[in-house]
Amino acid sequence: MVGYIIRRLLYIIPTIMGVAVLVFVLFTVAGEDPVRIALGQHATPQAIADLEALWGLDQPLWKQFLDFLGQIVTFDYGESYFTGEVLSEAFASGALVSLSLTLPPFVLGLVLNIAIAMMIAYYRDTWIDRFATATAVISMSFSYLVYIIAMQYFLAYEFEWFPINGYAQGLDAIPYLALPWLIIMLVSIGPDVRIYRTIFLNEMQTNYVRTARAKGVSEPSVLFIHILKNAMIPILTFTIVAVPFLILGSFLMERFFSIPGLGDLMITAINNGDFPVLKGMTMYITMTYALFNLITDLLIAAVDPRVKLN
Amino acid sequence: MAVQKVSIWRKTPQLVLSALLIATVAVPIGCRPRDGAGNTDVKVLDSFRADVYRSLDPPRQFDVASARIISNIYDPLLEYHYLKRPYELTPNLLESMPELGADKLTYTFNLRKGIKFHDDPCFPGGKGREMTADDVLYTLKRFADVNVNPQSYPALLQNRIKGLDDFREKTRQQKDLDYDQENIEGLEKIDDYSFKIVMTEPDPLLLMSFATSPLSIVPKEAVEKYGRKLEHHGVGTGPYTLAKNPRKGVMVLKKNPNYHGTYPTEGDPEDQGQGLLAQSGKKLPFVDEIRIPLIEEAQPRMLKFLNGELDAIGIDRDNFPKMAEKVGDKFKLKGKFADQFNISSVDALSSFYITINFRDKVFGQNKALRQALAYAIDTPAYIDKMENGRGHALNTIVPLPIAGSERSVSVKWYPPNLQQAKAKLKEAGYPDGKGLPPIVILYGSQDNITRQNHEFLRAQLAKSGFQLKGEFLSFSDYLGRKEGGSFQLASGGWGADYPDAENFYQLFYGPNKAPGPNDGSYQNSEYDQLYQQMRRMPAGEDRNQIIEKMALLLKEDVPVVFLKAPISVGMRQKWLLNFKSNLMLGSSFKFLDIDTDAKAKGLKK
Repeated sequence: MVGYIIRRLLYIIPTIMGVAVLVFVLFTVAGEDPVRIALGQHATPQAIADLEALWGLDQPLWKQFLDFLGQIVTFDYGESYFTGEVLSEAFASGALVSLSLTLPPFVLGLVLNIAIAMMIAYYRDTWIDRFATATAVISMSFSYLVYIIAMQYFLAYEFEWFPINGYAQGLDAIPYLALPWLIIMLVSIGPDVRIYRTIFLNEMQTNYVRTARAKGVSEPSVLFIHILKNAMIPILTFTIVAVPFLILGSFLMERFFSIPGLGDLMITAINNGDFPVLKGMTMYITMTYALFNLITDLLIAAVDPRVKLN
Repeated sequence: MAVQKVSIWRKTPQLVLSALLIATVAVPIGCRPRDGAGNTDVKVLDSFRADVYRSLDPPRQFDVASARIISNIYDPLLEYHYLKRPYELTPNLLESMPELGADKLTYTFNLRKGIKFHDDPCFPGGKGREMTADDVLYTLKRFADVNVNPQSYPALLQNRIKGLDDFREKTRQQKDLDYDQENIEGLEKIDDYSFKIVMTEPDPLLLMSFATSPLSIVPKEAVEKYGRKLEHHGVGTGPYTLAKNPRKGVMVLKKNPNYHGTYPTEGDPEDQGQGLLAQSGKKLPFVDEIRIPLIEEAQPRMLKFLNGELDAIGIDRDNFPKMAEKVGDKFKLKGKFADQFNISSVDALSSFYITINFRDKVFGQNKALRQALAYAIDTPAYIDKMENGRGHALNTIVPLPIAGSERSVSVKWYPPNLQQAKAKLKEAGYPDGKGLPPIVILYGSQDNITRQNHEFLRAQLAKSGFQLKGEFLSFSDYLGRKEGGSFQLASGGWGADYPDAENFYQLFYGPNKAPGPNDGSYQNSEYDQLYQQMRRMPAGEDRNQIIEKMALLLKEDVPVVFLKAPISVGMRQKWLLNFKSNLMLGSSFKFLDIDTDAKAKGLKK
């Protein structure tokens, strides 16, 4: 197993190199010119040259790429072009904020959605199933933005159940996060329940379930002991690969609710052509994603005796 | 089976309900008092910021979001009068306006005595010391240092002060220069409270640079203690100190009790009647604390304002029809909004237009074609339909509140006239547009509003025979194409760097051709001579006559087709006092006051 983990970690290196080349070409060679965005109209050639020198963009491309590789190795992406923030600090604090936004509804949503999916899978082909499936499809048909705008307007402004937006440090953040949590959970119900329902239905049609029922095992035991355990394998895969994106946050939610997470940092960077932020964020996401893929494989091996890591 | 179903039916809902219960715990947790709820002991102004600032170190920024904060923490030597229009420079850190010497090149500045920097750990004992001429000269040198300021120097001081450009060149060669060891010909300290600045040539507009936020006075101790961290800190002489500065949360400014400024005693004729002179001569600032949350999206901003959590807000294009209307030349709030809020409107200091490239083969040598374009665009209809009436159809390039605008010259731009457009098109060699290839206009944005505006123009021009195509580019690509002269028409605009017509007429000065500000590379020797003459003249009737000649030349040659000068319309809470829009001040917070009782009572529901 140790050998497998080392091998998989080594596989990550060429992946990261490939992404690094892609990111560098996209942002440095083919992307917008951050100097022009910063200086605006009618910048003198000297002003352009001065700012390029200040940001190191006057260096040859190979040198800039080597510097970028150095940043990837040291996890030090320097400073934002536009706000002068030290990015390692901004990423760390932003990731925590984003997790405080996304993790609680993710966990609660997981429990809730699995419970709903089990219920409608159990009542498959009845009006409950059809009603729940139709509701899920309808709820998925609305854009995320509609949920945010409508719930912010009604629940925060009209009914005054929540603050309209804002953020605070520590536990004081909970009142500000409550509405975003509710929206994230609500939005996740449609797609997640449909996927989990399909997983449960597949499991219900397997031989071991039929055998269990033939042996007289009660339906709750079939569901909770046999089906749920086996369904956890695809659910685990589906869940763990989503974790890196929790760290990234939800850019729409963060913008509408003024939550200073990584999603908002990313959008602001895109608007400003703030390439150190974009490059750093992309590499962090790549590395986290690769790492969580590995964790998924290890966990699947742990819960599924058919899977051998070797 | 049926029995088992009942069993699971009992259990599954339990699970579902349990999860829902956990989720809905969020609701009571979420209940809390609104931001801005009234505490009548402390005067709190609730503002907002829509963008993250770039830097709070004055010479390292040149953007609106940064200038707005800096203007509360730091002071420039001069500022624009809060109430008087047209905009007028007044002393801020000075005893009086700088005196121009007989050589017409030397200004003498006399500083006010007793102005102190904020208390800060960078000073001995943490007590702010008195500001002197050394601080001003240090600020000017630091402003010119290319390693500190790669951005605003060319626009504000390049080629204007003797020896300063050479100093800048030296900083390019040698980082970390000791400013104290560098003597600059055009900067001379007389004593602790006075100094001289020598210009390279007579330049009546130079003083306007000393009213901009990048030239705010920064103490050397703060730079030495904080270095780059000064970009998120603030040690000035301004009306407020920076109490809290989260990157994206609620920035908090606290009143500087030692601030030197007083409320103006004079204003425009109507200001007295509007109560804007009620606090004349009183010590500034009036408000104890200013809260400035970052709210990037329009919906939460508007909801917070309607909820009483913000004291003033602009009305955007989407909300305008619901909340306000234009009646004659005035803007009014509708229905319940009129009962609850006050409205304000102000002419923005910017012009929007279509630039015509004189290097283009089709338009460059065909004056009649350019004139046809000017007749073909119905600017009033554009403003009415696309901007909810929030704009002026311009007769000259200069926005109305600026000295040298159409208020002081009598030039009328082309009225919309389809017949004339067709006649000019025929004269240009393209009757009914026959033989004229589709014309292409560049845009520096790809958003929906830009595309909607393009559709309006396309439909209008089609009536007279023009076929218009749009190219929607990223901003940097757009700048590259414009400055490289690789375009036919380009959507463009210009915001005033300083409130003088010269800042707009330089857009057509021959030597400024692309990649300079004269995007269309318009060239007219008569115009250039008039511009050179006008640039060195003080404001007045003689100068206006020259401006009028220049405006007539532009009308004849049509290097641009005017679209609009915008009008900003906003709402404010009735408890916000002393409000008058001043677009030349980075921030007006120090003049504002709050009726705290009214604010405490006025919150929604």
